Amino acid sequence: MSYDRPQELLKPVKRRFITLTFALALMMELLPLPVGSTRWLPDFVGLLILYWAINQPRRIGIGMGFLIGLIVDVSTNSLFGQHALAYSVTTYLVMLRQRQLIMFNLGQQALVVLTLMLANQLIMALVRLALGSAFVGTSYFLPPLMGALLWPLLTKLLLLPYRHHTL
Amino acid sequence: MNFANTPRFSNQGLRPGSQLLLCTLASLALLIGDSQFGLMDRTRDALSVVLYPIQRAVNMPMAAAAHIGEFFITQTALKQENAELRSRELAQSARLARLTSLEQEVQQLKALNGLRTGSLQAGQLGEVLYTARDPFSYKIIIDKGLDAKLAAGLPVVDERGLVGQITRVQPLTAEVTLIIDKNQMVPVVNQRTGQRSLLYGYGGGVEVRYLPAAADIQPGDLLVTSGIDGLYSEGIPVARVTRVDRPAGASFARVLCQSIAGVQSSRYVLVLPPRAAMPPRPEPAPQPAKPKKKKDTEDEG
Repeated sequence: MSYDRPQELLKPVKRRFITLTFALALMMELLPLPVGSTRWLPDFVGLLILYWAINQPRRIGIGMGFLIGLIVDVSTNSLFGQHALAYSVTTYLVMLRQRQLIMFNLGQQALVVLTLMLANQLIMALVRLALGSAFVGTSYFLPPLMGALLWPLLTKLLLLPYRHHTL
Repeated sequence: MNFANTPRFSNQGLRPGSQLLLCTLASLALLIGDSQFGLMDRTRDALSVVLYPIQRAVNMPMAAAAHIGEFFITQTALKQENAELRSRELAQSARLARLTSLEQEVQQLKALNGLRTGSLQAGQLGEVLYTARDPFSYKIIIDKGLDAKLAAGLPVVDERGLVGQITRVQPLTAEVTLIIDKNQMVPVVNQRTGQRSLLYGYGGGVEVRYLPAAADIQPGDLLVTSGIDGLYSEGIPVARVTRVDRPAGASFARVLCQSIAGVQSSRYVLVLPPRAAMPPRPEPAPQPAKPKKKKDTEDEG
């Protein structure tokens, strides 16, 4: 067991909170952002799915990954089933090693997240190439790096409401 | 003790492996159904109506910020823009006067020749709602749809030139495929030489393909729509040639172009009306009736 991150006593996570985080991430997808920003902005929904699959594996599993992937497909106007496929594969990979992942410290988790997000992008790129789209260039694999860098911050942020306020 | 670490005592539901198998099969079926057979178009239409108010709500803060920014524009900037517009209007009114006289002349000539004339109509102004966040396709969504009687196939322009073509119409929105999308083709004509060719999008840019290596084309040439496809009206500026490579041993020149319109940056676009009555397509050549014979006998019997 790693000792860098002291295991704290947290309040139980409400289902409402999980839904809220996903709603916010989907809103981010719908924001009319400047053209270049999609080249480096991480996939927030993908990050959240990984976060909840690691931390609340009974709430967010493979089926939920699939469903949320479908919603993302609709909101980003990509092919139906593209994100769904990627998210269900990565949540499955998380489920295989969930007990280990939860013990890792944030740096180690960020590395795993980097690999999983790259797997997401790779699956989607392969699917689109197989169905006849042009390759978009190597910059397509930049967002996972940003996502991995944001991982510690995201974890701290999402834990914030569940800390007991100590006096 | 973390909640996530408590083991699952009762084993409910499917094993992860079979869950994954199910989800993978379902998404593959959806992918193939959507891309090859267009099975999901109805669903997409319905969902686009559901998403529209959310889209508008999310856009609102951005639009408000832009509005406030416009409100606090400086007097000098306004004056400068005003003067610029005025001079441009002057220049254009002179050209317009010439154009009307020319148009009348053409109408008369066409009437003399007994040809049908296309009427000039104004297009529909659309605002770009958002660019699709899918990096694989180059599409924009505009805020007019079936409600403004748009139809798939209509050309979309901005103030400088051709932007793309409407490919999907939903009740409140329409999807415009940009000319730089892969496999999007525009029949063009070189304004300097009158040579016709096809402009292909390759995903992020445009190029002219299948032009003989000896063809007369050079950097700086303006390509405008030729109008022979019956889709785009003729003379809309599309692209300017930036580089011409004539590799030794290849029979085709490699012609790179730069699109004229702000394909990915314009905020307002104009959807042009369909072209007026085209002559009917020629009848297809009659098929030899050989393979049908069996069926005919069945019908009779």
